[in-house]
Amino acid sequence: MHGAPGGPTSSGLYDAATDAFRRWRDDDESALDDLVRVMSPVLWHVVRATGLDKEASEDVVQNTWLTLVRSADSVRDPQAITRWLCTAARREAWRVSKASTRTRPVEDEVLDARMPAQTSPEAEVVTGDENARLWHALGRLPERCQKLLRIVAWEPRPDYSSVADTLDMPIGSIGPTRRRCLEKLRVELGGAS
Amino acid sequence: MTQTDEQLLDAIAVLYAALDPAPADLVDGVLARLAVEDLETEYELLTLVERVDHASGTRGVTGVADPGADTTVALEFAGESYRVLVRISAVDGRRRLDGWVVPAVPLRVQLGSDSDVTTATRQSVESDADGRFEFPDPVAGDVRLWLTPQATDESGRPIAPLVTPSFRL
Repeated sequence: MHGAPGGPTSSGLYDAATDAFRRWRDDDESALDDLVRVMSPVLWHVVRATGLDKEASEDVVQNTWLTLVRSADSVRDPQAITRWLCTAARREAWRVSKASTRTRPVEDEVLDARMPAQTSPEAEVVTGDENARLWHALGRLPERCQKLLRIVAWEPRPDYSSVADTLDMPIGSIGPTRRRCLEKLRVELGGAS
Repeated sequence: MTQTDEQLLDAIAVLYAALDPAPADLVDGVLARLAVEDLETEYELLTLVERVDHASGTRGVTGVADPGADTTVALEFAGESYRVLVRISAVDGRRRLDGWVVPAVPLRVQLGSDSDVTTATRQSVESDADGRFEFPDPVAGDVRLWLTPQATDESGRPIAPLVTPSFRL
């Protein structure tokens, strides 16, 4: 399922997750299903942005939920649930990628070379002019920008310190880098003023 | 064309959702894992020790079951201290499930899909004092029974709940 509303401005997603978690804590057991449905696609993008392959990413998403169920009491504030989940997923992804040889760091050049092959099966979804332009513009950005923008695009209110760990950047540079990456993207899109 | 940061990021989110979507079975996989976790941590998993399928009802003079006859399946599950016997019968196309636990103990019994992580969507009944219970209109598919004894052991501790392996209705 990937029809969940995405994007950082999607307060709907944030509110739905907070509400489901609150109901689950109040012993409404079906609310955990709701939370899983709302947040699993978000966790998918958060984990894939770390560079893990699809199979490993699926495992990381599952393990993140197991961690939550085992330690739900450690989430004091229901409003912190999206951040807690995304941070736990990113930390687990980071741990797995350190431990595993099936994940290699992907250099920009390699990524560029792979992009046409990656996109061709799904070519029809990039048929819209805007989407195609955006995709090609993203592809011309440094890998770090691509990862950061995917994270901040999908994760509601991200925790910059765990994003910094994942991207191996100082925490103070996340905000400025995010701005710079968006500016570069605008230039690539030809929309810079 | 000027887009706000938020519009641009929304467009990026939509693009990735299309190009690298979460697998269609991601959510189901998570729910199944959580269901198993639930079993491992809280319930004693029973073992299927016997299964008997037989046709019953009208028999011809030859003693051979009528091909269209009603059928019954009997299952027996065993754990460390309890055995659970289940009979699934189909009469006139309507299934029902009867069961009882030996030794007798009052139970809260739930019947639900084997991958169901939540208890809210399971069918739930109370057994009688002899540990007999029935589901007159059980759900179909791959299911489990979760049995929670409503009693304490000789040292006053609650008796650990039991769960059957998955079986097909």
